[in-house]
Amino acid sequence: MAEGSREVVALSQSGAINSLSNGGGGTSAQTNNPLSRKLHKILETRLDNDKEMLEALKALSAFFVENSLRTRRNLRGDIERRSLAINQEFVSIFKEVKEAAKEQTQDLIVKTTKLQTESQRLEIRAQVADAFLSKFQLTADEMSLLRGTREGPITEDFFKALGRVKQIHNDVKVLLRTNQQTAGLEIMEQMALLQETAYERLYRWAQSECRALTQESCDISPVLTEAMEALQDRPVLYKYTLDEFGTARRSTVVRGFIDALTRGGPGGTPRPIEMHSHDPLRYVGDMLAWLHQATASEKEHLEALLKLVTAQGVEENIQEVVGHITEGVCRPLKVRIEQVIVAEPGAVLLYKISNLLKFYHHTISGIVGNSASTLLTTVEEMHLLSKKIFFNSLSLHASKLMDKVELPPPDLGPSSALNQTLTLLREVLASHDSSVVPLDARQADFVQVLSCVLDPLLQMCTVSASNLSTMDMATFMVNSLYMMKTTLALFEFTDRRLEMLQFQIEAHLDTLINDQASYVLTRAGLSYIYNIVQQHKPEQGPLAKVPNLDSVALKTAMVQFDRYLAAPDNLLMPQLNFLLSATVKEQILKQSTDLVCRAYSEVHAAVMDPANEYKDPENILHRSPQQVQALLLMI
Amino acid sequence: MATAPYNYSYIFKYIIIGDMGVGKSCLLHQFTEKKFMADCPHTIGVEFGTRIIEVSGQKIKLQIWDTAGQERFRAVTRSYYRGAAGALMVYDITRRSTYNHLSSWLTDARNLTNPNTVIILIGNKADLEAQRDVTYEEAKQFAEENGLLFLEASAKT
Ligand SMILES: Nc1nc2c(ncn2[C@@H]2O[C@H](COP(=O)(O)OP(=O)(O)O)[C@@H](O)[C@H]2O)c(=O)[nH]1
Ligand SMILES: [Mg+2]
Repeated sequence: MAEGSREVVALSQSGAINSLSNGGGGTSAQTNNPLSRKLHKILETRLDNDKEMLEALKALSAFFVENSLRTRRNLRGDIERRSLAINQEFVSIFKEVKEAAKEQTQDLIVKTTKLQTESQRLEIRAQVADAFLSKFQLTADEMSLLRGTREGPITEDFFKALGRVKQIHNDVKVLLRTNQQTAGLEIMEQMALLQETAYERLYRWAQSECRALTQESCDISPVLTEAMEALQDRPVLYKYTLDEFGTARRSTVVRGFIDALTRGGPGGTPRPIEMHSHDPLRYVGDMLAWLHQATASEKEHLEALLKLVTAQGVEENIQEVVGHITEGVCRPLKVRIEQVIVAEPGAVLLYKISNLLKFYHHTISGIVGNSASTLLTTVEEMHLLSKKIFFNSLSLHASKLMDKVELPPPDLGPSSALNQTLTLLREVLASHDSSVVPLDARQADFVQVLSCVLDPLLQMCTVSASNLSTMDMATFMVNSLYMMKTTLALFEFTDRRLEMLQFQIEAHLDTLINDQASYVLTRAGLSYIYNIVQQHKPEQGPLAKVPNLDSVALKTAMVQFDRYLAAPDNLLMPQLNFLLSATVKEQILKQSTDLVCRAYSEVHAAVMDPANEYKDPENILHRSPQQVQALLLMI
Repeated sequence: MATAPYNYSYIFKYIIIGDMGVGKSCLLHQFTEKKFMADCPHTIGVEFGTRIIEVSGQKIKLQIWDTAGQERFRAVTRSYYRGAAGALMVYDITRRSTYNHLSSWLTDARNLTNPNTVIILIGNKADLEAQRDVTYEEAKQFAEENGLLFLEASAKT
């Protein structure tokens, strides 16, 4: 009803306006008379076509029931009143609508706000959940990396994912301290499981990588190095992987060693080491040098493998594994070196080999440390064996010396046994001197070598000289000792021995000096006189009265003594000419001459002494002791 | 993968020989550590150093064996020529005697290596020009006569 009335109003209004504007718009060139225009318009109006007008008229006819002057006059007012009423009704209805709407909106707003809050809450929850997930869960990609569902090699991403698992496992402990314990425990368990799976996968991968490292030039990939870094968190897997590495390398090194020994390099260069087995030193040296280099290289490989491992004891790990790797070559090495040693290549070679072994023991222990590496033990064993056989050989030589002691040669020079033994000693000492063994170790050996050789040698000389005259014996001994001394003097660490030899030489020298002096005195006719003078006591009366000491006897002796003074060299014991050392001979001559001079001056003093009642004593002994000394010491 | 799968593709062994004191150990140290070690301890026996170099895109690991130059280590040194890809034969340009001994070192090197082994002659201590005792030209000629590569170097600079 309300709508209908509104329509009517609208129609009537619009219709009126239309008609007015039509009237205005229809102004034509015809006439400007308003009345005629109006009329014209009305006439032109085709009412049956104007629906609006028809409707308006219909509505009008509903209340304009009586067509009279009065009602016509009132029509306008009626219409206006009616319009007002309709409008009022509209307002009041609209008011109602508005009230109702207002109420409903309020409701809506409340609801909306509620929903918004809810949505915000959910949003935050979602964010928290996301954050939670990204903090405490892995992505599907990461999972499949760790589980190895995606086949293929371990890559950088694997370690990132593994790092995440570790991180989560660690971080999740925070949850355990909150009221999220269940979630925390669940995640922890999940991460622990994942970690185990990942480590297992990593281990399997590393194991097979290690197993493939069977080339002589063993190249450790950076990923494998990272794998070892990761595996250090699982000591058992870490150890197993190292074992696998060790096993692979061990057989590689053994194969390499056997190839080097028997086949040589590719195409035969370098030639196989065994080609030199006839040259024991080179053979043993080449084997040990090969092993030294292999050991050094294996250590380098391990250092590369464990470069990133930070756990304690890496150095020990390396030494242990190098020890394991080099264990395989010990048997082939031992068999070969033993063969060389047992073949007794002679004391000198044995000694050289023993020094070489000592050197390599020292050198290789610099790489594998002092851990109980089998290689070191083997080298040490071989060193001891070679040394033992060496000393055996020396002792055997020495005991042979005593088995058949030769008589000294007629020239009282060194016996052939002495010469031979000294040659051997010289060679041993020479190789010792040039040995690559550290000084202190060499010094210790030296004492042993010297006593092993020199003591029996001295004994042999003494026994051999035992049936000789004192002079011959002294000469022979001085010569023999002198030979030993000159042999030793060339080498280090011999000072003490040299000193001992010198003492022994000097003991024999005293004999020779005294003998030479009495030899001269006897032959120069002073011996008897000098003896009497020495033993004479003043209470026995003057010397001139002693038989054979009168001035005539003295003068005769002086003639002889003068002959000596003229050519002192003629009065040399024959043995002295056998002395090998000119210096020793010189020393004997000088000191024995001193003794002669002293004897002369004693005799001279006695003759000059008035108590001995020689007449004209200057005529008997016409040479002063100073003169004699000057003459003799000129030589 | 971001990282190369391997560190190197080849490994070559070199031996460094020459009289004591010519600077073998210093050269080795310079090569592996890239610095001069003035108070380099005497080499006792045999030591070694390694370095990875790159040659036309290929990574090569060089393992260089340094030996003591004294006569008494000569026999030991001889065992290290085996399998060497090259020998660096060093003398000291300020000490003629070290140059005069080259022929004996060269004999060892020739006898104990295979024909493919490269022998490189190095006149070390080139920084001590004022004390030079061996001219560049004569060493160059010696190298040419013996088919050696030759260069003068200094472990110090
Ligand atoms: N001025 C100079 N001195 C050097 C050079 N190389 C080595 N030296 C010195 O020479 C000495 C011996 O060096 P070293 O490497 O031990 O000789 P090696 O016996 O051949 O190993 C040391 O005192 C070094 O400082 C160099 O290029 N220039
Ligand atoms: Mg050196």
